[in-house]
Amino acid sequence: MSAVTATISEDDMDAVQAKPAQRDDGAKLGFRLTLPAQILVLFIAVFPLLMQLYISLTDWSPLSGLGWWSAWSMWNSFANYTDLAADARFWSALKRTAIVMIVCVPVEFLLGLALATLFADEFPGKRIFYSILLMPMMVVPAVAGYMFFMLFQSGGPVNDILSSLTGSPVTIAWLSDPTLALFAVMVADIWQWTPLMFLILLAGLVGVPEDQIKAATLLGANPWQRFVTIVLPKMKTIIIIALAIRVIENFKIFDTLYIMTGGGPGVATETISVYIYKLTTQDLIWGYVAAIALAILIVLSIAAVFAMKRMARTAEMPA
Amino acid sequence: MSAIHLQNLVKKFGDFTALKTMDLAIADGEFMALLGPSGCGKSTTMNMIAGMEEPTGGKILFGERDMAGVPMGRRGVGFVFQNYAIFTHMTVRQNLGYGPRMRGAARAEIDRRVGAIAEMLQLTPLLDRKADRLSVNILQRVAIGRSAIMEPAIFLLDEPLSNVDAAFRAVMRTELKQLQRQFKQTMVYVTHDQLEAMTMADRIAVMDHGVLQQVGTPLEVYNNPANLFIARFIGAPGMNLLKGWLAESDRGLIVDLGPLGATPPLPDDIAASVRRARGEVFYGFRPEQVTLVQRGPGLSMPVTFVERIGARTIVHLGEGESAVKAVFDNDVGLAIGQTAILAPAAQSVRIFDAATGRAMKAD
Repeated sequence: MSAVTATISEDDMDAVQAKPAQRDDGAKLGFRLTLPAQILVLFIAVFPLLMQLYISLTDWSPLSGLGWWSAWSMWNSFANYTDLAADARFWSALKRTAIVMIVCVPVEFLLGLALATLFADEFPGKRIFYSILLMPMMVVPAVAGYMFFMLFQSGGPVNDILSSLTGSPVTIAWLSDPTLALFAVMVADIWQWTPLMFLILLAGLVGVPEDQIKAATLLGANPWQRFVTIVLPKMKTIIIIALAIRVIENFKIFDTLYIMTGGGPGVATETISVYIYKLTTQDLIWGYVAAIALAILIVLSIAAVFAMKRMARTAEMPA
Repeated sequence: MSAIHLQNLVKKFGDFTALKTMDLAIADGEFMALLGPSGCGKSTTMNMIAGMEEPTGGKILFGERDMAGVPMGRRGVGFVFQNYAIFTHMTVRQNLGYGPRMRGAARAEIDRRVGAIAEMLQLTPLLDRKADRLSVNILQRVAIGRSAIMEPAIFLLDEPLSNVDAAFRAVMRTELKQLQRQFKQTMVYVTHDQLEAMTMADRIAVMDHGVLQQVGTPLEVYNNPANLFIARFIGAPGMNLLKGWLAESDRGLIVDLGPLGATPPLPDDIAASVRRARGEVFYGFRPEQVTLVQRGPGLSMPVTFVERIGARTIVHLGEGESAVKAVFDNDVGLAIGQTAILAPAAQSVRIFDAATGRAMKAD
């Protein structure tokens, strides 16, 4: 903040009051005002990106004894990228990440939307339920991971509940079974992030003009028709935002999952983030890690650009 | 086509009584204005007719049919909202066709009806425009068309002109009135603007504090206000009201206005209707029905302000309790500080009981 304040020197104040004919002064002032922010962006985004690109073209590892800037001596051109294309473990991790996303995000969306619809109306105890509902979101993901790790133990509460429901003892080894482990991990993600979806969608829902809904009712639309023809179209922008946030976040799913399964059994729950984490901390091949991270960044960026374009289009026709 | 009967209608919101009791018969094809200041219960009444609110007591009949329990989408009522509530994410065509589409009408049928209504409202060239960037008079027509396509027997309009600037309001008033002639539906029009009510309505129902004050044609309400509230509320400016006592004089029955002196004698028919009254009264006369005289009998008052509004000039006279206004031609030769003698036209004088506020009439 102090840097920003300092930039508005007396010269600049004069420039503000200068004659409007001198347009360049305005542009210059604008540049100077945004300079601190631009320098900041340079250091937190552009510099690491270039560094990453540089390392990704080498075999550099922190064990090599060289500083990262000397990585050129281990130059391997595009070997990391060709390795990546042939890395079956990478592709299966990518596929697994996609499966988690394809299941979790729609489930979170539908649950969130249903809850938001419920909470748009008044009912007794609404405030209490509202607070309870938002709690999972505020739990530290690592803690949530530990919670679900305990819940899904073969002698844990989930099996206890199933036992009392079925009447016979249930001892499912949730986290040791490849399929069930993935399921358990998704349950944890849905539990933790449905509230966020709910919160965003509720904000969108209460923003739908009341009188347009009344007008639709007076014209004979039933509740479902009103929802489809008025409420959903009005919420389009916010729905896209909510989905974009969750898709991007879900792609990076890590902490809860890592604590619950560590990516196991075997590699059954190994997602992209878990794979990268293992390569970074166990295999220590940072050149390769940089290549993977960059490849994913490019893929996510392309996806984000598409989403933003879509959003800009919707924003052009205000609700 | 449908008449509306409101019988002992009551609406309470918790402890607050929005509508004390209301009986009103609106004839088939009539343009009825519900007029009153904000909080008088007019919108509540309208919302109950539309089915948006349930009455606390009493009945609403459309023709012979009791509307109790009939949900708002099934009453055959067209409703135009204050801000029109146009579906901004749709085109004009989709807005107009919304009702039939929701009722599952066939595509060809919808197109035909939308085409017809658009032609009638001169919206045909705008059919494929998005509804979020239309001017307010187009929005009004879309709102009316969207309801009219359902061929409702009853049209309810909730202050549709209150968001419109003054210059445009006159245009839209004319347009609305013409549309009503075209559709021939029963129309109920809620407004706080007495000019809108006077210019458009067949009859006006004046409301205040949840009570229906008077029902009548615009001229009836203007000429014979039932009480002090209506006398002040209707007309621009409202009726002049001066407090005084009835007294006999050698020229006939007069009102003694205290420091202002005596009024000219009351005309015989009015005198006959109030002769038996006692106590304080209000002497009322319209600002437009006053002549300036050189010498009495009349009300001699100092000019305090002269308001020139073009075609006419409004002259303010007197102060405090005895302040009155008089409307003259624009070239009236009065200036602040001068004393003028006003002679209210005898037949326009009205007498109100000061205790009850009611107009005194022949029994």
